[in-house]
Amino acid sequence: MNTVEIKNLTKNFHSTTAINNLSLGIEKGKITGLIGADGAGKTTLIRLVTGLLLPDSGEISTLGFNPSVQKSLLNPKIGYMPQKFGLYEDLTVIENLKLYADLKEVPYDFDKLLEFTNLKPFQERLAGTLSGGMKQKLGLACTLLGSPEFLVLDEPSVGVDPISRRDLMKMVRDLITPETTVLWSTAYLDEAHSFDTAVVLDKGQVIYNGNPHELAETPQEFENKVIELMGGYKKEKSLIAENYVPHKTDVECTVEADKLEKKYGNFYAVKNNTFCIRRGEIFGLLGPNGAGKSTSFKMMCGLAKPTSGTARLMGIDIIQNPEKARSNLGYMAQKFSLYGSLTVRQNLEFFAAAYGIKLSERKKRVEEIINVFGFSDIQEQKSEDLPLGFKQRLSMACALIHNPPILFLDEPTSGVDVITRRDFWNHITSLAKKGVTILVTTHFMDEAEYCDRISLFYKGEAIAVGTPAELKQKADAGNMEDTFIKLIKESEKE
Amino acid sequence: MKILQALIKKEFLQIIRDPSSIIIAFVLPLISILIYMYGINLDTVRVKIGIKNDDANPEISTLVKSFGHSKYVNSVVYDNENDLAKGIVRSKLKGAVIIPNDFSNKISKGQNADLIVITDGSEVNTANYVQNYSMQIVNQWLMTGRYARLAKPQIITPEIRVWYNQDLNSHYFILPGSLAITMTLIGILLTALVVAREWERGTMEAMLSTSVKKIHIVLGKYIPYFVLGMLSMGFNVFMCITVFKIPFRGNLFVLFAVSGLFLFTSLGIGLLISSKLKNQFLASQVSLGIGFLPALLLSGLMFPINSMPVFFQHLTRILPPRYFITFIESEFMAGTVWEIVIINSIFLTILGLILFAAVYNNTDMRLIK
Repeated sequence: MNTVEIKNLTKNFHSTTAINNLSLGIEKGKITGLIGADGAGKTTLIRLVTGLLLPDSGEISTLGFNPSVQKSLLNPKIGYMPQKFGLYEDLTVIENLKLYADLKEVPYDFDKLLEFTNLKPFQERLAGTLSGGMKQKLGLACTLLGSPEFLVLDEPSVGVDPISRRDLMKMVRDLITPETTVLWSTAYLDEAHSFDTAVVLDKGQVIYNGNPHELAETPQEFENKVIELMGGYKKEKSLIAENYVPHKTDVECTVEADKLEKKYGNFYAVKNNTFCIRRGEIFGLLGPNGAGKSTSFKMMCGLAKPTSGTARLMGIDIIQNPEKARSNLGYMAQKFSLYGSLTVRQNLEFFAAAYGIKLSERKKRVEEIINVFGFSDIQEQKSEDLPLGFKQRLSMACALIHNPPILFLDEPTSGVDVITRRDFWNHITSLAKKGVTILVTTHFMDEAEYCDRISLFYKGEAIAVGTPAELKQKADAGNMEDTFIKLIKESEKE
Repeated sequence: MKILQALIKKEFLQIIRDPSSIIIAFVLPLISILIYMYGINLDTVRVKIGIKNDDANPEISTLVKSFGHSKYVNSVVYDNENDLAKGIVRSKLKGAVIIPNDFSNKISKGQNADLIVITDGSEVNTANYVQNYSMQIVNQWLMTGRYARLAKPQIITPEIRVWYNQDLNSHYFILPGSLAITMTLIGILLTALVVAREWERGTMEAMLSTSVKKIHIVLGKYIPYFVLGMLSMGFNVFMCITVFKIPFRGNLFVLFAVSGLFLFTSLGIGLLISSKLKNQFLASQVSLGIGFLPALLLSGLMFPINSMPVFFQHLTRILPPRYFITFIESEFMAGTVWEIVIINSIFLTILGLILFAAVYNNTDMRLIK
C-alpha cells in the first residue's frame, strides 16, 4: 500500500504553474528522495501532500485521508519539518521540545531524542544560539516527536556541513520504524542516491521515479544522469569571464591573511590564520558550521575587526586602508543580500554607484552586465520574485560589476540546484583563468574539487592546507567528503 | 486545554526574553505620560504681549502698570511701533495693545474710547487668550480707577463655578486620556508584530502541521497580551495617581473592567493587522497609521468631536478610543457615572466581538502561496 497517492494534481500560483498534472505514489516504509531544480515544485508538492496548500485540481490521498478536508485528522500522524526548521529561537532546546510535544499532544519523552542529537548538554541553551547543524537536529527532533507514521522533510540539509548531514541521516534511519514512510527533498544528489526511491521533478512534473541505484551505480554518475534527465548541461564558454578585463599586478599574494585572530572573551573564533593566495587561484575554506569560516571572511573584507593580525588585498592593508583595499573586492554574501523590492536593473545600477563607477560609465556598464549575464528578459522584474538560481546569478553580477581583481564567495551555492551549480562553477573557474583571485566557502564537497587549494577549518584553526589531491592523500580517502570527515575526526582526537 | 496552555506559556517566555515587548509595555507608556505631563499644556499662562502707550496723560500709565501686574500676561513696554511689529512678526510677542493718544481724552468726555488690540491669528487659541485677557485687564482698571464713574455699570455679574476640575488644569483630563492612547499603542503595536513574526520565521508553518486548532492560535495570542496590557495599565494608573497626583474620583474596579474591554478591542485590531499582513515591518507601519493616529486625533482627546466635520464625527463611532476616552475622563474627574460606564461598555463590547470574529476568520490554517 502506498502512503501517498496522487492523481492528476495541478497547482497554479497566479500565472505560473507549480505542479502540472502530476501523478505519483509514495511507497510505505521507504525513504523517498525528492529532487529537482529550483522552482521545479518540490516545496509546493510537499505542502500539498501535508494539506498546507489546497490543490487547484486532482486528487491526493495521504495515509488514506484527503488533506484538503481532513487535515486535522492527518496532522497527528505526520511529522513535517519546513525549510526554516520551525524552531522558536527565543525558547531553549527543552522548551521547544516541550512546546511541540504539547502541540502534538504526546508525552514528554525526550531521552532518546536528546541522546541521538547530542543535545543533552545544551538543553538550556536558546535555540537561536545553536549552530546550524544543531538547529537542524533539534528541528528534526521536534518533528520526530510522537513517532509519526509519515515524515516529511523539506530540504533539511541546506547550508549544513557534511558531518552534521551524516548525523542527520543516521538519526532518521535509526529513529524510524520499518513502517515509517519518509519524504525527503534535497539538493544533495549523493544524499538522494542513498535513498530507497528517487523522484525527480521538473517544471511541476515527475520525470523520474525509481530506485536511484538502478539509474546509476555511484553518486557521481547519478548526478550526471539526473542532469541529463533535467535536460542536460552543456558547458559553454563563459561570457562572464570573456568579458572580464584582467588587472596587472606585481603583488605576489593578491589575498593575504597575516596571523588573523578573533577572540570573543576567552573563546577563539579564529586563531592564527595565515595564508597567501596568488593571482588566479581558487582558494577554498572548508569546515563544519561554526568553525570560524564566516568570521575569517568578514575580517578579510574589513567587516569585522580582528583582535590581532591583519589581511591584505592586492597588497593593501585592510585595517589601515579599508576603503582602498575593499575597492579591489567583489563580495557575494551567504544570504541573498540584494534589495528585494528593486528590479534587477535597479539593483545593478545601485551597486554600480555604490562601487564608485563614474556616472558617465555606469549606464554602459550596467547594459554590458545585463547582456553578459542574460538578464535582458528579466531586467524589469523585482529581484525578490526571481527563482533562487537567478537571485544567485544577480548577486554574482553585482559582485562583478566593478570588474574587481578579487572575488569573495561565502557559500554561494547553498540551496541551489545541481545544474545552476555547474554553470556557476564554470564561470568561477573561467574567471580564475583570467586572473581573478577567488576565496570561496562551501558545504558541497564535490565543489571543493574545483579549488586549487583548500584550507580545512575546525574550531577556529586551519587543520590542513593543500590541494584536493594532497588532502585526500593525507587522509587516505577516496573522495573529499570522507577526507573532510576523517581529518576532522583525527584533529578531534589530538 | 493543554495545547492552549502550552501556547500561552510559550508566548510569555517570548515576551520575557524579548526586551522590546517590555519596552513597549512599560517604558513607552512612561515616556508618553511624562510628555503629556510636562510637555503638553493646553492652559496658556502669561502670554507675552507688547504695549505702546501714545497717551501722555499720567493717569494712563496706571493702565500700563495694570498690564505689568497681571498674572495672565507678561507685558513689555515699547516706544517704537516698528519694534512692536517686529516682535509680533518674529513671534516674540503673542499680541500687542496700543493705547491711542486721545484715549484718556475720550474717556473723560464720556465718549467711546478706542483701544487697539493686535493678536496673532496663526495661533488661534493664543489669540483668543490675548484678546480676553487684555479686555479683562482694561475693564478691571476702568472699574477701579478714577474713571470708574464714567464707565457703564454692569448689571449682571456671572458667578462662574467650574465643576469636576475647579482649577481648569488640563493635565487632569489629558493624562487619563493619554492612557487610552498608550493602551491603543500597546494593544495594537505589540500584537501587530507577533503573528507576522510567526509567519516570517516559519514557525507558523510548523505549528499548522500539529494538532493545533484555530481557536488555540487566536486565544493563544489574545490571552498573554491581554495580561501584559492589563499589567501595563495598572502600572500607568499607579503612576498617574500616586506619582503625578492626578485626582481619581471613580472606582478602580470599574476603571479596570472597562479598560479590559478597551484592551480587548485594541488587541483585536493588532491581531487582525498581523494575521492579514504576515509581515512585521508592514504591520508596524499600518498599526501606527490606523491605530495610534486616530486614537490621538479622532478620539476627542485633543479636538472635541462636536467640532469635527460631520463625516469624521460619524467615523469616530467605529473607533474604540472614542468610547474609552469619554469613559476614562469622566471616571477620573467626575467619579463613576453608571450611564456613561454602561453605554461606552456596550459599544466597546460590540466592537471587541466584531474584531474577535474578524481575527478568527482571518487566521489562516493553510498557506496561501
